[in-house]
Amino acid sequence: MTVPEFLVGLMRIWGAIGAIVAVPFLIWGIDRIDEDARGAYVFRLLLIPGILLIWPIVLWRWWQIEAQDAPWLARYQPAMVHGPLVAVMSAAIILVFALGLAVRQDWPADIAPIQLSETQ
Amino acid sequence: MSVKYIPVQWNVNKWFYDAIMLAGVVLFLWIFLYVAPDVLGHEQPINPQIYNARAFGICAFLMLTIILCIGPLARLDTRFLPLLYNRRHFGVMTAFVALTHAGYILNWYFAFTGQDKILGLLGANTSYGQIAGFPFEAFGIVALIALLILAATSHDFWLKFLTPPVWKRLHYLIYLAYFAVVAHVALGILQEQQNHALTAFFMACAGVVLALHVAVAIQDRKGEAACDGAWIEVGMADGMEEGRARIVTLPSGDRVAVFLHEGQLSAIGNACAHQNGPLGEGRIVDCLVTCPWHGFQYDVRSGASPAPFTEKVPTYRLRLVGPMIEVHPDPNPPGTYVEPIALPHFGRPPDKSVEEAPA
Repeated sequence: MTVPEFLVGLMRIWGAIGAIVAVPFLIWGIDRIDEDARGAYVFRLLLIPGILLIWPIVLWRWWQIEAQDAPWLARYQPAMVHGPLVAVMSAAIILVFALGLAVRQDWPADIAPIQLSETQ
Repeated sequence: MSVKYIPVQWNVNKWFYDAIMLAGVVLFLWIFLYVAPDVLGHEQPINPQIYNARAFGICAFLMLTIILCIGPLARLDTRFLPLLYNRRHFGVMTAFVALTHAGYILNWYFAFTGQDKILGLLGANTSYGQIAGFPFEAFGIVALIALLILAATSHDFWLKFLTPPVWKRLHYLIYLAYFAVVAHVALGILQEQQNHALTAFFMACAGVVLALHVAVAIQDRKGEAACDGAWIEVGMADGMEEGRARIVTLPSGDRVAVFLHEGQLSAIGNACAHQNGPLGEGRIVDCLVTCPWHGFQYDVRSGASPAPFTEKVPTYRLRLVGPMIEVHPDPNPPGTYVEPIALPHFGRPPDKSVEEAPA
């Protein structure tokens, strides 16, 4: 099995598990954990792509809500990693621009193309 | 939310916002494809399929740049707040534009390989050990996956289900997406540019994003509070503005919005229960703090939304030490009523809860 085949297989398995999670969650689980979803059905179709993509987080939160395991304060504490994330992104962008421009080659537009190998 | 979910919460303002956004996308594509092709430096002849791919790719980059600029612009100048109002629709449309770009690439470069297109994409270039000729497509895939996750989790249900802090952390993927797009561009299309117009365009876009975020970071640093024992200094009472708040950052990193309303001080958490918007940058309308992002409202004294809504935010205790306002860093449970503190110079009798300055 090649690396691309492995990656594509992994994506398919990931999506299949997501589909398996989506069925009970959208039919039964969502009514148990969110009163605003009771009696509302059309919007559930919009949730399917999200569940396919992040089903581990869906399972974690579903369990956390069912077990009432989340402290109330956690809901009101904004993530404080914004500043460091922006700093890392900024540094990475500057670096990748510098690298990209450093390795860029000037293309000699007036030189005739050369056949490097014979075609089979 | 405390009302039943619907697929898309449109109203007149959102229709207007989306119409302008869609018109902007169409205008950009039209200009790119038909008005200014010579400026863009396609030195070698390219077919319409590649031209379309480039048009949608650069459009997605520009849209992502605008999305990343909206947040800091709204923090720096409240006139940009309307742009923030419907930013999630902007993100969803960006994901669709990026997906179209990927579709054109797959259906041209990998349509004739005789194998699965995705396999062709992943296996065409595996020179990961070098900068020149690096498989820049990988960065595009990372960015596209991140944008799809953001778009797929943009419904209000996800905010409530994941909680705003978790949702926010997930949506920080936008920074990964932006870096990945820049890397995709820098190691991809910029490698073959003889005309430097596109190079300058990409660098200018990224430069604006970086500069705006630095400006906001500098502004936030000015709001960090001094600590006096258990209580935290907010600022001098005479510096408060009626109907507006002063935001302080606690040592824990949490932010508190201290409001002056009808001569009385109240403090609530700065993070809106909806999307963690900055309540302290909003105004008080009829005794209700109104979030500048989406208009969610809270009683300034209790942190509770008016009925029938059920959103709540924590409240904080305040005291006056001479002219200095201080806040206790321990939050009360969301919705807890706290008696406001009257400012003496507003002509009211001093509140009993006001403490005198220690000797």
